[in-house]
Amino acid sequence: MRHKQKNQPPLPRLYLISNGNGNSDGGALLLEQLHLLTAFLPCIIQIREKKLEAKELMDLALKARAAKSSDKSLLLINERADIALAAGLDGVHLPEKACSAMALRTFAPGLIYGCSVHSALSLRIAEESGADYLLFGPVFDTPSKRKYGPPQGLENLEALCQATSLPVFAVGGINPENAARCIAKGAYGIAGISIFQDTTRFIKTIEQFNIYLNP
Amino acid sequence: MIPSSPFLCVITDETICPVTLAENALKGGAAMIQLRHKTASGSQLYAWAVEIRKLCHQYQALCIINDRVDIALAIKADGVHLGQQDMGVRSARKLAGNKCLIGVSASSPQEALQAEKEGADYIGFGHIYPTLSKLKGYSPLGTDILQKTAALISLPIIAIGGVNAENAELLISSGASGIAVISAVSRSDNPSGASYELVCAINKKSHEKSL
Repeated sequence: MRHKQKNQPPLPRLYLISNGNGNSDGGALLLEQLHLLTAFLPCIIQIREKKLEAKELMDLALKARAAKSSDKSLLLINERADIALAAGLDGVHLPEKACSAMALRTFAPGLIYGCSVHSALSLRIAEESGADYLLFGPVFDTPSKRKYGPPQGLENLEALCQATSLPVFAVGGINPENAARCIAKGAYGIAGISIFQDTTRFIKTIEQFNIYLNP
Repeated sequence: MIPSSPFLCVITDETICPVTLAENALKGGAAMIQLRHKTASGSQLYAWAVEIRKLCHQYQALCIINDRVDIALAIKADGVHLGQQDMGVRSARKLAGNKCLIGVSASSPQEALQAEKEGADYIGFGHIYPTLSKLKGYSPLGTDILQKTAALISLPIIAIGGVNAENAELLISSGASGIAVISAVSRSDNPSGASYELVCAINKKSHEKSL
C-alpha cells in the first residue's frame, strides 16, 4: 500500500469522477473542472471515460495532467494502468472486474490503486491485492445506478467501514447535505459525478462539501 | 524475436474461448498468438493472458496482447499489438522497453512507414483481401500495395485480412514475413487442422498427411 509504505500525505477526501461523456465533449467538462479546482480543496479526480479508445484516453489524460495545477490533487484513470503511467498520472481506479492491483504493481509500483467494492468478497479481494482506498456505492438512490437494484444504504456503508482499515469513499447520490451522514458512518471521503457537473455552482458545491469533510 | 521463416499468427476472437483457440492453433503450428477481445473484463483478459502465455512458451511461440499494454506488462507477454486507435508506439515503448515486441496495425504504406519511424517491431498489414471478421470502412488493399509497402519498410510485415490456404503463399512471395488470421481458424470446425494447413501453405509443404 503506497500511502502507508512511503509516508505519503493523506488522500484528499473529496473525489470527482468524470461523467463518461468525453466522447461527445472532447473532455471539455473535465478540463474545466480541473481548472476550477486549483485554488480549492485538494481532490481526487478519476478520468472514467469508457467510450473512448485508448489513443483518445491517452490524449485526454495528458491534457488533464497539464490542466491540473494543484500538487495536492490526485489524477487517476479508470482501469488503464498503462495510460496512467504513460501520461504521468497519480493512479488507477479499478472496477471489481479489472486486472488486480497486485498484477499491475509488478510494472507500475508507484501508482495509487483504488478499488470499487460492492460485497464482502470484493472487499477481501481488494484488501489482498493491496488497494490504497475503496470506493463503495451507490449509497443513496441515483438514476444511473437504478438498473443494478436498490442503493446500498448507510447501513452497508457503515458495515464496510467497520470491516476495513482502508479509507472508504462513499459514492452514489451524494450531496453536501448527506455527506456528513456518510462521514458519521465511517466514510473517509465522498465521491460524485453529477453533483460536480454544473460548473456554475462548482465552487459553491466544493465549499459546501468542505464544511463537512474538513470540519 | 519474430520468426525468420514464414509464420502463422492466430488472433483470438469472441466466438470461442481464447485459451482453447490458442492451444489448438499452437498444435497446428502457429508461431504467434494474439489475444484480442474487446469486450472481456480486465480480470478475465488477465486470466486468459496468463494461460495463453504459458501455452505459447510450451510451443515456443510468441504471446502478443492486443491494445492492453497494462495486461501485456503484467503477464510479461512477448509483445503488444497496437491498432491506430490504441496507445501510440512511443508511449508504449517507454513503458514496455526493448524486450517487449510492439506490433502496429497499418492499412496504408504511410501508416506502416510512420509506425516504423516511431519504433514498431513489426507491422500488421491489411486487410489484403475482403474479410468478414471486421466491418471495414475501406476496400481491400491487395497484394500490389503489400508488395509496395514491403519494399518501403524494413520491418517484418504480417499480412492480414481474408487470408486462406489458397492465397497465403502469394502473400509471402509479395513480401510478407508472416500471415495472420482470425476467422479462418476460430470459425473452423477443426482449428488445429486449419492452422496446420495455413502453416503448410506458407512453407510450401504438402498438407496431405493429417495431424
